[in-house]
Amino acid sequence: MGRKVKDTLAKGIIYLATGITLSVLLFIVGFIFVKGIGLVNWKFLTRDYNETVSYVFVQAAEVPMSIDADNLKKENPYDARYESLIDGPIYIKSIGAAIAKVQYRNNYTEKEQFVIAYIEKNSPLLNAKDSTGKNVDIKTDDIIKRINGINLKNLTLQEAAAQIDNESGELKIKVVQPGGGVKSNIITTLYMVLLSLVIAIPLGIFGAIYLTEYAKPGKFVNTIRFAAECLSGIPSIIFGLFGMAFFVVALKFQISLLSGSLTVAIILLPVIIRSTEEALKTVPTSFREGSLALGATKLQTIFKVVLPCAVPGIATAVLLSIGRVVGESAALLLTAGTVAQIPGTFLSPGSTLTVQAYYVAKEEGNIELACAIGIVIIVIVIVLNVLSRFASDKLDVFNKK
Amino acid sequence: MEAIKRKKLRERIIENIFLLCACVAVISLLAITFFVFYNGLAPFVSNSYSLWSFLTGVEWRPGSNMYGIFYMIVGSVLATFGAILIGVPVAILTAVFIAEMAGSRAGKVIRFAVELLAGIPSVLYGVFGLGIIVPYVLKISPMAQGESLLATVFVLAIMILPTVVSISETSLSAVPKEYREGSYALGASKIQTIFRVVLPAAKSGIMTGVILGIGRAIGETMAVMLVCGNPIAGIPTSLFSQIRPLTTNIALEMGYASGVHQELLYSTGVVLFVFIMIINFAVNRIVKTKVGN
Repeated sequence: MGRKVKDTLAKGIIYLATGITLSVLLFIVGFIFVKGIGLVNWKFLTRDYNETVSYVFVQAAEVPMSIDADNLKKENPYDARYESLIDGPIYIKSIGAAIAKVQYRNNYTEKEQFVIAYIEKNSPLLNAKDSTGKNVDIKTDDIIKRINGINLKNLTLQEAAAQIDNESGELKIKVVQPGGGVKSNIITTLYMVLLSLVIAIPLGIFGAIYLTEYAKPGKFVNTIRFAAECLSGIPSIIFGLFGMAFFVVALKFQISLLSGSLTVAIILLPVIIRSTEEALKTVPTSFREGSLALGATKLQTIFKVVLPCAVPGIATAVLLSIGRVVGESAALLLTAGTVAQIPGTFLSPGSTLTVQAYYVAKEEGNIELACAIGIVIIVIVIVLNVLSRFASDKLDVFNKK
Repeated sequence: MEAIKRKKLRERIIENIFLLCACVAVISLLAITFFVFYNGLAPFVSNSYSLWSFLTGVEWRPGSNMYGIFYMIVGSVLATFGAILIGVPVAILTAVFIAEMAGSRAGKVIRFAVELLAGIPSVLYGVFGLGIIVPYVLKISPMAQGESLLATVFVLAIMILPTVVSISETSLSAVPKEYREGSYALGASKIQTIFRVVLPAAKSGIMTGVILGIGRAIGETMAVMLVCGNPIAGIPTSLFSQIRPLTTNIALEMGYASGVHQELLYSTGVVLFVFIMIINFAVNRIVKTKVGN
């Protein structure tokens, strides 16, 4: 009897522990989704983090409205989460566009702004140029601040519309494209993934080929394995320190995309070497022997027989690596910086999604925004997980054959 | 003849390229060790700061030239210890459930959940900690802020779960079936078999998992930075004290530090590195004895 009670108790504890593990996951993912989902929408993904201010020059014209007034009301570029409509929209002939007055919430400050609600097909706004003559892409939802030096602040919608309509000739308009989005971070993350994979994948795969196909088991191979193991145990902040001392300072790459991706490439090496090695080992020796017996050289055997068979395993390695880059933050904080911008060159800084999530949580105390970024990251991670599962299933199928 | 020679030469060259690629891992490790130690030991070699006051000081005030990391070491060790205390039992029991008790479908679901947990970037654990754990700790804390050792311990305990679960599970599954059958044949129940036969047999694998968990906890930066408080002085005296682990010290100030200040941040990295190396050697040791058996 005593044993049964004990067994039931132990079972209960095991179930409890498993329950805790599962609920922790659900709780974290749930928290991030519930907190952040309010901010995630198309604009969040396509806007820059910082607002951009530009002065544009537009030739005033007389553009009649091609849709009727009821339809204009339905033109609704604003987003209830960012802005609430106060008045409008009103169509203005001189710029061939409609503006509306909205209450604009940019992180903390709530401001009344005039936003472009609708643009006609032949509107002069579409040919807007900046002072250097470069085209500026004006979109609905951009904010109009000033026209010909006249501040529209404190005007009613009607007054502002009349003001704009009165002006003729070349108009100088101050336009603000609102921020609060993560477009630049998504693109930086993408660059970071691409660049670090381009560096790490060939190194990792070729290294693994050497270890499995060429090297004789012994001290040398053990040393490399030990080094790879050590590397995978080193915390990313140490990689960051190294990246800072070597790439940023010694090689003078500065805090940049290049320094960041080189540092991350080293972090990826052990993952890629190990997964590729595992994949290569699953290819039966008879395949190699068959190929060699047909007169193929060792290199031909590797590239035409062994590697193609190991593709699913290598795909898993690539997917795992993408996950690592997307999730990496401490090393990138020190080597790629926290500037939310699209890096123009390899040597300009940029913050990835995770670094940005850290930055807004820590420096701005904005947990909602951090969670919204978190949703984007988690979706990427889940997709990668499912794909890598798919790839490793493929490998299993091959093994069973 | 010429063609064959050229072919052979090409094979030779490419083999050497492969060899070079394989060496990159070793070179990187050496370079990392060299650069971190070179920068980190410089202030002690050039006598611009005393090693003793660095290792035993309990205040970090770059402004007044005080760089002591003893309270950070204590903070790091306590947080890691707490995380292991809470996280490891949960993780091992979860691994037991997956390996021994779950059907294939339930096992798959939980395994996927654990993988997902491992895939969540550490920053998000920090955001979660800042959004949920810190306010909750604040409710029961006598201090004015929720960022504390306790909050850090909880976040780290969650973060080591996937590492320990997956490694323990692998080593539990590797225990031969005959062990279990033998135990059943002697009249032991399933639970008795698990606790008296399977777990002891998988001991070394589980230990590896735990040590890797320690490594992850002590090296964790971003999540911890959001929930630990980062005070500039003071050994933690209670669960509600703020702590400043070694890792966050580096990440917080590296961006703007210069001169001795920067070098001493590298020195902080050296101390962390030494901890990690000890852990790595321990893992290697365990793996080796396992192979020996």
